[in-house]
Amino acid sequence: MTTAPTTEVHPAPDGPLVVACLRIGDLRPTVDPLDGTVTRDRLGVGLSPADAAALEHALRLAEAWSGRVVAVCVGPESVEPVLRDVAALGATVMRVPLGDEGDGHRYVGELAEDEHGLARTLVAALAPFGAPDVVLCGDRSVDRGTGALPAYLAHELGAAQALGLVVLGPVTDSAGRQALLAERRLDAGWRERLNVPLPAVCSVEGAGVRLRRASLAGALAAEGEPVPVARSLAVVAAPGPGSFHAGAPQPFRPRTRVLPAPHDDDPRLRLLTLTGALVAHEPPTVVEPADAAEAADVLLAFLARHGYLDDTRVTIPERAATEDDAP
Amino acid sequence: MSGTTTNGTTGPEPLEFDAVVVGAGPAGASAALALARAGRRVVLVERGPFPGAKNVYGGVVYGRVLDDIVPGWWDEVPVERWIVRRSTMMMTGTQSLSVDFRTDAWGSAPYNGMTTLRCHFDAWLAGKATDAGARLLTSTVATGLVRDGDGRVVGVRTDRDGAELHAPVVIACDGVNSFLAKEAGLLARAEASHHTLGVKEVLDLPPGAINERFAVQDHEGVDVEILGCTREIPGGGFLYTNADSVSIGVVVSLPELAASGVRPEALIADLKAHPSIAPLLRGASLREYAAHLIPEGGYDTMPALAADGLLIAGDAGAMTLAAGLWLEGVNFAIGSGYAAGRATDRALSRGDCSAAGLASYRADLEAQFVLADHKRLRKAPSLVLSERVQQHYPGLLCDLAEGMFTVTNPTPKPGGLKLTRTVAARHGVKLRQLAGDTLRGLRIFG
Ligand SMILES: Cc1cc2nc3c(=O)[nH]c(=O)nc-3n(C[C@H](O)[C@H](O)[C@H](O)COP(=O)(O)OP(=O)(O)OC[C@H]3O[C@@H](n4cnc5c(N)ncnc54)[C@H](O)[C@@H]3O)c2cc1C
Repeated sequence: MTTAPTTEVHPAPDGPLVVACLRIGDLRPTVDPLDGTVTRDRLGVGLSPADAAALEHALRLAEAWSGRVVAVCVGPESVEPVLRDVAALGATVMRVPLGDEGDGHRYVGELAEDEHGLARTLVAALAPFGAPDVVLCGDRSVDRGTGALPAYLAHELGAAQALGLVVLGPVTDSAGRQALLAERRLDAGWRERLNVPLPAVCSVEGAGVRLRRASLAGALAAEGEPVPVARSLAVVAAPGPGSFHAGAPQPFRPRTRVLPAPHDDDPRLRLLTLTGALVAHEPPTVVEPADAAEAADVLLAFLARHGYLDDTRVTIPERAATEDDAP
Repeated sequence: MSGTTTNGTTGPEPLEFDAVVVGAGPAGASAALALARAGRRVVLVERGPFPGAKNVYGGVVYGRVLDDIVPGWWDEVPVERWIVRRSTMMMTGTQSLSVDFRTDAWGSAPYNGMTTLRCHFDAWLAGKATDAGARLLTSTVATGLVRDGDGRVVGVRTDRDGAELHAPVVIACDGVNSFLAKEAGLLARAEASHHTLGVKEVLDLPPGAINERFAVQDHEGVDVEILGCTREIPGGGFLYTNADSVSIGVVVSLPELAASGVRPEALIADLKAHPSIAPLLRGASLREYAAHLIPEGGYDTMPALAADGLLIAGDAGAMTLAAGLWLEGVNFAIGSGYAAGRATDRALSRGDCSAAGLASYRADLEAQFVLADHKRLRKAPSLVLSERVQQHYPGLLCDLAEGMFTVTNPTPKPGGLKLTRTVAARHGVKLRQLAGDTLRGLRIFG
């Protein structure tokens, strides 16, 4: 892949390492209403609310732990002004070049197709800084990100993961170790509170915190500075056959359900019959899988049963397939 | 870092420069460029995320002013189209009369005017300043002037924790209705009658359609200035071709717009629906719309341009030339900004940044087009915005043309004078007034 080095990255001094993986893109891309072509403008490039929240959380954690923040972005040269703004906040920044050739737009498509490759690339690029204690990402970028990256990052780093958070803060666990306390939304206005051990990868919603502004001195110091570019770092290719590879996203097409024509003469009753209103429904089945592997099996079985998975590519475990309408 | 600011409060240590330029529009970028070239430490403060992010204008920049500042500018400027056709159109609701001029001379170097988008043009010009060594501070608002014990301006306060930028000279290029010029007491409270409101839409249109409908080739553009399209409100309209879009808008007197109760977008809608304009825009779709004030008072309403430690340039100094046939502001901003930068450099060399030490700025502007044109055309705004020119002449001229070109057989053709008299009477204009205005126009523009 790409490309030549520009500036050497110098790892920051010791201290807990908090990494913000930022996806920087056009915040208001135009979409052709006829053919769906997405056109991005380099002048619209910025941090999505979720990425801005991730950066703010990273800065707060580093402050609380007297640590350092490294902000990294995989992208073309057009992301550099935004990284300079991030540097003005005191973070060490690094760009991993991708898509510098051509118009720099193709990269987004490439990344969306291979988030696992992207995660491996990021982990390789971060190696000079040492092992991260926390990695923060936005839960979803504006330009069609899948939100899968943090999960892949956790996998690559062997770290705990907590995704889609609204609250995140530092705590000390019962053994006196640094850890994280996080909250995420559940249905019906509930929230779940998670104790997350380190190292961890967390993705956060664009809510709850507002990215701080750089000081005048910080903004001036960062202005015009070259943005360090990771040294010629080939994007680590996607894993080989045998692993799961998500294809291009398909439009949501639920299966057709054939309903018998209602017999009532009264239109209101026909409507009630058709919509199923006022009919008692079976409540959703709540399953409590013992571990993450079992949960994944249950989810896969549900998806397969409802026609979302191509059965030739996924083997459904026997046990899970017998569960009824799990989620 | 912390220290004591000039107003006695404790805050971050002020940052020192030779000059602070506020506003990275064409005036500010040019001022910073002049200073950076002179080897001065200059910071250009811009509230938008990048130069040009927040700036609105009609669409044509006349580049002659750049010849000395950026030699060979036409090879690198982010141009949309080079203007080769210029039309002046008078219209009523159902008629239009155009004087259409076209020349190949404007279609090749050194060119005359170009359409360009401000987000690209301003960023390009500010890039020249930073290439020369100016520092650019974006997303930062200058919130006020900093003065020393003698009341001299010695810097600006910013919205970044109230931190200050200090320098012996501040150049206010913060555009029309300049808060800094007002704070310095140079600009009085905004007088609505000295301002017009410009509203415009940018409409997407494929390049092929533009070429065909406006009778131009790729890279060639058209500038149409329109009179008689703003109902009873004094003003005018414009239509410019960009590479793959057109800019259409109106500029109207602020107090009269307010008094009329008409929404400005309704005026654009009228213009777009006019039978002479609608076919040009068929199928176009809205990309963006914007509105902005224009300081149209001209020479007689310009503020003093210097105070101790302060200069003002561009629209902050009311330098847009809006004289009917012309709506030029960007070139005046560049000319005045560059001159302000050079005057600051001279004042710094002499160690005298008082108003007197900065006085060479005004002298410079008087000697070049910026104030020379304004002075010569000082009476133009009142003529162009006068009731007869606005309300009567467009219809009168259109009717005159209709009378001349309507074939009335078997009735013989009317004589020119008789026709003029009849048409003038129909529009409530006396021939004496017509002759008087023609003479006045010749005196102003001749
Ligand atoms: C509708 C319309 C049509 C026009 N058509 C034309 C045309 O076709 N051709 C032409 O030549 N001229 C035209 N003009 C005039 C032209 O736009 C102006 O004359 C020109 O932009 C003036 O440049 P400037 O640098 O003085 O100010 P501006 O371009 O207004 O720039 C001021 C800059 O200062 C920044 N700023 C303001 N306050 C602060 C602050 N407190 N702190 C930091 N930054 C600040 C702003 O963000 C901006 O970038 C038109 C104007 C309008 C409104």
